[in-house]
Amino acid sequence: MQPFTILTAIAAPLEIAKIDTGMILPGRYMRRHRRPGHDYGEAFLYDLRFDEKAQPRPDFVLNHPAYRGAKILVTDSDFGCGSSREGAAFAVMDFGLQALIGPSFGEIFQVNCIQNGIVAVTLPEAAIHDLWRQLKKQPGAAVTIDLPDQKVIAPDGTSHAFDISPLRKDRLIRGIDDIDVTLEYRDVIEAFEAKRRATVPWLPTASRE
Amino acid sequence: MTARTLFEKIWTDHVIVVSPQGEELLYVDFNLINEGQSFLAFDQLRMEGRSSRRPQQHLAVTDHYLPTINRDRGTAGMSNPEIRRVVEMLDENATEFKLPHIGWGHRDQGIAHVIAPELGIAQPGMLITCNDSHTATNGACGVLAMPIGGGNQLRHVVATQTVWLKKPKTMRITVGGVRPEAVTAKDVILSIIREIGVGGATGYAIEYAGSAIRAMSMESRLTICNMSIEGGARIGMVGPDDTTYQFLNGRRKAPKGADWERALAYWKTLPTDADAAFDRELSFDAAHFAPMVTWGTSPEDCSPVDGVVPDPSSIGDGDRRRHVERALDYMKLKPATPLQEVAIDRVFIGSCTNSRIEDLRAAANVLKGRRVSVPGMVSPGSSAVKRQAELEGLHRIFIDAGLEWRDSGCSMCNGSNGELVAPGERCASTTNRNFEGRQGRGALTHIMSPAMVAAAAVHGRLADVRGMSLRDMS
Repeated sequence: MQPFTILTAIAAPLEIAKIDTGMILPGRYMRRHRRPGHDYGEAFLYDLRFDEKAQPRPDFVLNHPAYRGAKILVTDSDFGCGSSREGAAFAVMDFGLQALIGPSFGEIFQVNCIQNGIVAVTLPEAAIHDLWRQLKKQPGAAVTIDLPDQKVIAPDGTSHAFDISPLRKDRLIRGIDDIDVTLEYRDVIEAFEAKRRATVPWLPTASRE
Repeated sequence: MTARTLFEKIWTDHVIVVSPQGEELLYVDFNLINEGQSFLAFDQLRMEGRSSRRPQQHLAVTDHYLPTINRDRGTAGMSNPEIRRVVEMLDENATEFKLPHIGWGHRDQGIAHVIAPELGIAQPGMLITCNDSHTATNGACGVLAMPIGGGNQLRHVVATQTVWLKKPKTMRITVGGVRPEAVTAKDVILSIIREIGVGGATGYAIEYAGSAIRAMSMESRLTICNMSIEGGARIGMVGPDDTTYQFLNGRRKAPKGADWERALAYWKTLPTDADAAFDRELSFDAAHFAPMVTWGTSPEDCSPVDGVVPDPSSIGDGDRRRHVERALDYMKLKPATPLQEVAIDRVFIGSCTNSRIEDLRAAANVLKGRRVSVPGMVSPGSSAVKRQAELEGLHRIFIDAGLEWRDSGCSMCNGSNGELVAPGERCASTTNRNFEGRQGRGALTHIMSPAMVAAAAVHGRLADVRGMSLRDMS
């Protein structure tokens, strides 16, 4: 996982509420093995970016030349609600985005993003509306996300503080993986497991038939 | 001792490590795995040379990509090579990682969240995970059941039998009163989501309580908990009671003999203590609920069936107005149109929300002796539900009415298996999501209860089941 500290990049405003993970990664792409050169970048918001004839929709924000190369998306409410498909987080990443800023996110999606190194920042609605306004007035303007200091800096210099779990912040900054951390607790896990098995011995198990 | 909620009791029993940084390491009693993108987790485990730590505490279930026809021809019956490949990948990954697997040809095949309760795997006090957003379904059995991501988190559970989680806040939704006739669990949960919104319970673990929930069968409670995620909650549960114990007693994986007695004594300690506090409390009166249908592109976009399509110009909140305008544009609906004048093109009865035997009986009760005006299919939630329905003759009612009687799987709920609603087609569906493109690109989805889908099928438009005379099934 890539460490994430301070990112200054072009930000695109996406003013559509309740974009669910099925719009972020349409179901038909979920059958794909994800590998270099054949990743989920193409799938990202495909039906919003392209029409039925696979032509780019000129009025869609991410097709506007000024936002090309955007690494930050400023979303509307409930972005990533719906299905738990982790491929949606991969689609965000493979499209080239490194961070999302929005008034609210689907919870599973937000966790999936953060566990894959994408910072998904929640800010109050008023701050989001102000970011949209600035980014539309000045297409291609840059926004800064300072993870160590937990602040978003708008193009006009306004600073917005955000919350993030200290554990996630630490792992994002160091770029370390959950399994590495968990395996440090191997003995504690085994002791817990033995005790649980003694307390509730009837718990179901399955077998290969 | 301080009074505790059902959720707090189960959560505490599973905490292995309390991190000073706000997340806890929890023990996973049982994990369900479907083929939807779990290959991403297995690809990574394989590259890292990791194995499954406790294979008997997992069950791989093929449900999302399995076509509901041509089952007898096995993988050769799956005409789309990409779909066939996903099904085969789960077969291969389960074998390689030595995981128990209910695959396409298995006698118990079904939708994971239908078969886990059916086999007696979902037992009060357990912590169950699955790479599926509807995992909370199992919470109806007094289980702390929650979705995990199909990549990183699933990989973590397979390798360590644990999961890192931030403890959610607690919310109790009390549904008091008595449900009017024809108001089903689906109408209750849609009515709740309409009030709280799709993000209303984000960050909370819900406990459903109150007389209307207590009076529900286990099937109905499973429907309620199933749609917790449509209100934003990853966890939804119902405290165990006699309905739970009777449902579990005798099931294949349920405790037997002396174990049953010990388990029962433990289960009875789990319900929320009388003066336990929740972070948030909401109350509803079931007597005010009516049969619901969705008209928009989010589960909160629903109204009683005798209502009309809303008018965005009368909505004060700007964000809500923009959403409704976009939703009506996508759904090709005009403001103020009576919902019962909306003509449909097809119906679907199935999914982890509404495919259990009670659901099929309710739909069959409406369809008995009638013919449908639009095509559609019925996909039972599991092979066991299918056998039971055939034993009761329900399949004959569906077939005689003009519907297709299929095998079990997630099917047209999200179309991963290729069974899609065509672009521009309008479908009355017993499923859980009406997002843009959920049932296929350009598909127009209206979600409702099984009886209401049956009523829509007969009339060829959204219809009020209360206006139809029903025959006694007994």
